[in-house]
Amino acid sequence: MTVPMGDPAATAAGSVEPWAGEREPAQKPDEPSLSAGEWLTKNLFSSPVNALLTVVFSLFVFLVVRGLLNFMFSEERTWRAVKTNMRFLFTHAYPQEQYTRIWVCVGAIAVLSGLSVGLLARVGGGISMKKLSMNLMGTGAVIALGIVLREPSAIVDDEGLALHRDVSEAVGGSFAGWLDSNAFTVLAVLVLANVALAVWFHRQDTYLRGGPEPRIAHGALVLASFGVLMVQQYASGEVVRESFADAMLDRAWWWLAAAALAGAGAALWIGLGDARRRHTFVPAMYVFFAVAGVMVLSSWVYPWGHYGFLEGEFIAEPGSTVAMTTKLPWTVMLLLLVATYHLGRVLRAARAGPKLRVPLNLLWVLTPFVLYWAVLRDPDLDWDHVLSTDLPMALFFAAFGGLVMWFLAHPRIGEAGRVIAAVLVAVAALNWVAAYLGWYPMLQKARISFLLLAVVALLAHNFAGDRSQRMKLVAAWVATMAVFHWLVTLVNSPSTVDTPTDALIGGFGITLIVAVFTLLLAFPMGVLLALARTSKLPIFRVLSTAYIEVFRGVPLITVLFFFTLIFNLFLPQSMTLVDIAGATIGFALFSAAYLAENIRGGLQAVRRGQYEASDAVGLTTVQRTLFIVLPQALRVSIPPLVGQVIATFKETSLLAIVGIFDFLRIADKVISAQSEFLGVKREGLLFVSFIYWLFAYNMSKHSQRLEKRLGVGER
Amino acid sequence: MTKNNLLLWRVLAVLCAVTLIAAACGDDDDADVTTAPTETAAAEPDAAEPAETPTTVGDVVDDTQDGDLLDTVLDRGELNCGVSGSAVAFSETQPDGSQTGFDADYCRAVAAALFGDADAVVFTPLTAAERFTAVQTGEVDVLIRNTTWTQSRDTEVGMDFGPTTYYDGQQLMARESAGFSGASQVADIAGAVVCTNAGTTTEQNIADAADAAGISMQLTTFEDFDQVTENFINGACDVITTDGSALVGRKANQQPAGENWVIFPATPISKEPLGPTYGQNQSRFADVVNWTVYATIIADEKGINSGNVDDMAASPPDAEAARLLGAADDEQQSNMGLAPDAFRQVIAQVGNYDEIYSRHLNPVGLTREGSANAGWLDGGLIYAPPAR
Repeated sequence: MTVPMGDPAATAAGSVEPWAGEREPAQKPDEPSLSAGEWLTKNLFSSPVNALLTVVFSLFVFLVVRGLLNFMFSEERTWRAVKTNMRFLFTHAYPQEQYTRIWVCVGAIAVLSGLSVGLLARVGGGISMKKLSMNLMGTGAVIALGIVLREPSAIVDDEGLALHRDVSEAVGGSFAGWLDSNAFTVLAVLVLANVALAVWFHRQDTYLRGGPEPRIAHGALVLASFGVLMVQQYASGEVVRESFADAMLDRAWWWLAAAALAGAGAALWIGLGDARRRHTFVPAMYVFFAVAGVMVLSSWVYPWGHYGFLEGEFIAEPGSTVAMTTKLPWTVMLLLLVATYHLGRVLRAARAGPKLRVPLNLLWVLTPFVLYWAVLRDPDLDWDHVLSTDLPMALFFAAFGGLVMWFLAHPRIGEAGRVIAAVLVAVAALNWVAAYLGWYPMLQKARISFLLLAVVALLAHNFAGDRSQRMKLVAAWVATMAVFHWLVTLVNSPSTVDTPTDALIGGFGITLIVAVFTLLLAFPMGVLLALARTSKLPIFRVLSTAYIEVFRGVPLITVLFFFTLIFNLFLPQSMTLVDIAGATIGFALFSAAYLAENIRGGLQAVRRGQYEASDAVGLTTVQRTLFIVLPQALRVSIPPLVGQVIATFKETSLLAIVGIFDFLRIADKVISAQSEFLGVKREGLLFVSFIYWLFAYNMSKHSQRLEKRLGVGER
Repeated sequence: MTKNNLLLWRVLAVLCAVTLIAAACGDDDDADVTTAPTETAAAEPDAAEPAETPTTVGDVVDDTQDGDLLDTVLDRGELNCGVSGSAVAFSETQPDGSQTGFDADYCRAVAAALFGDADAVVFTPLTAAERFTAVQTGEVDVLIRNTTWTQSRDTEVGMDFGPTTYYDGQQLMARESAGFSGASQVADIAGAVVCTNAGTTTEQNIADAADAAGISMQLTTFEDFDQVTENFINGACDVITTDGSALVGRKANQQPAGENWVIFPATPISKEPLGPTYGQNQSRFADVVNWTVYATIIADEKGINSGNVDDMAASPPDAEAARLLGAADDEQQSNMGLAPDAFRQVIAQVGNYDEIYSRHLNPVGLTREGSANAGWLDGGLIYAPPAR
């Protein structure tokens, strides 16, 4: 299929005005919207087999949804355990009085996200009004279905315990009781009736003609089955339940929500004409803002209840709204997100966008380090040491390295540059040998800086050029040194955050931190491994293949156990690797092997012609790899890479098994061991699954958008 | 000589000079020599260790085998105490992350003895799998994590055990409506479905006990005890078995209205003495832990509690109390490397044995009367050597 391409080629090459060729997304051929009845006939009841499949699977969906809802809203559920432990689930023992730091981190991510989306999202893109109104109506309908399908609440006595009755007497007499004892038979009869109907209509050729009769008849029987399921539960079980009318009245808030959503959707559908419905687009972010806005607003209005644990006392106020310490920060976060999104839009319109893109991406890479070491850990800097040692050393390396870079990027330096770089590498290597043998003492930071210097020096000739080009290299070096030395100083300062346990943070916080650092570490490793595996040098190829095959052949949990429990026994006595660092390294080594294979697939997809063309224009191997091969390879491997990212995110739940208090472990083991909530486990597990799903689903959605934007699979 | 070569020589000369300067810099850094080894681990933000790494070597003295653990702990100013973090009434992690419970309070007691501050504890929640490794690598100083004292752990695993703080033992629990009572014996469960959690000694113990009684039963195991209890409530299990303390806790919290669960036999089918555990050959540190426990027991015997400890210290009832509270000249705490009033602080800040026990174990239905955990004068096993 040929898609009208505009000028994505120019965009990819980044030559002139990368976004100049912006336009609405390619449109599918115009098809007018179908009416609801036509849609049903065409999609659900188009043939006898399809009609039966529709019937059977709707019954299945009713059963599953009813089961899930009854489970969630059962009077046996102690959701208070999750609500009380909400903060605990997300940040473990992070102290209350330092909690502003958590919000600063969330805020920083909100600001970066807002800016990025505002700056990068396409102008004409977004969600069509048609899709929006259909989703609104659909959500409303699903909520309404849930309200009706869910069993009525149990009648409780003064102490809040459900009233019970004798099962045998309940079944007698009433219609509900009769239906309950014969539910299976009645449902079977209804399904058989559907089969008979299908045969009858088939004989009459009604399906072929596309008339309304099949959908009306089958639909009525589906609704009848639905009714059976609904009524039957009044008599099932030992618990006495309230009447249908009371149950519906109790769910007034839910009815209101369903009606509001469906009403809004319908109003959009009817209000806009067919063409406007299909061709007007709302930015996806606005939909997100609306949903988030409703949630934040509800925290101010709706009595979600206030549950917590403060100074040894449990707080349970079911009638009040959410605590101020929750609703206020989230309101601020949403406002920040909205503001920065619009700032991003403004910057983009001002054509400052292309220049901001690279710094923004660098900021994303740097943010986790800064947030973790500078914000969450609240480092206690030793200023005497900073001024006497850290600062002078950073300045020295910045100045000295800057000079070296300036010199090595000289356009006519030629072979001499490589010799110098090689000598620098030799000196750096000697430094490490010296460290190992204890020859001469030097701050480790200096050794690493020198090694960095040597590595960058090796690459310097790729950036050889005129004055401005050389200045860029020098500036990049100075910036690297500034950030590097600043971070190392922070890492080496003790934390002032005092938690009752040995861990700074846990729960979902640790899940995110481990996932993010794992990816930051694994991604470069994966790229290098993939390059090594496709390298012409046998030693690289063999080593890399061996590494990948070993790590892919060992179960992840073994790697984790090794790094958290056993690795410390091998270290010299003065060194210990804390659990979380060990786990991160284990995860990173493991993911790197998988990422490497994904990227290798991408590398192999790059055509030979690309290599030959870059050789023809005289690029060096490094230049060819960095500027021609890798960008194309990475673009192709986006889908498997995102799959790996999602897998890594979910795999962090294995932390629970190696004894780190992550999200899953708290829900599974810790809450159920609090005497207040002894044995309460299912609620927490359900909640944790939901949060994991929410994040994984969003990542996958984001990757789909990314694929579309980069045109993976189209060219 | 071409121009290029000239350039090369010039560069090499510069490099030599630079290397010299670098070496000189190295000398300047002599004062910082201590930072070198740990920074291998710490100084690589690229290596992405989202963790607290020790700052300088000064902080990281050998604290595993060679150095004296007591001095290390005193220098550090905080006690690293390994607990379970998910053991009802023994060490529960509360929603704000704090630890409460019988074991957690003994961690606090040791900290109070060491530093005069019961809050100077860093709790490390440990799984059963990692608890001994954590002691061996020095991650925790002492393990107070409902760990049973056994011969193999004392010898082969390389642990040392302190005085038992809680005498536990495996028992069984069943419904009264199924014909069981507190007087039932293991022989009465013939043919029943018995459930317990997998991979623990409880499984082995019940199998042995059934063999000894000459009966057969159906043993079903689950991943953890929450599931076992859940299946007991559902009726999938007739009898469940684990340590008596856990059974009592379950009965108090999860017994449905209208049912009565009974725990039997009165004499448990296994011995599970629980107490503090530490690495081998750290006598001075071990003494502090042991005598902290004994101090709480002696205080209980003499009726010294957190409410009256100051009065008791001012006018001691007898010479032993005076020594223990640091009010007499012949007190022994100074010889142990502690402050003279170390144990007075323990009683004042944490309480005596009975206070600690009642605070955490009474609410879940565990009482001292008539159990092995009563004082020796009341027919129990809780006994301390004399403080003199």
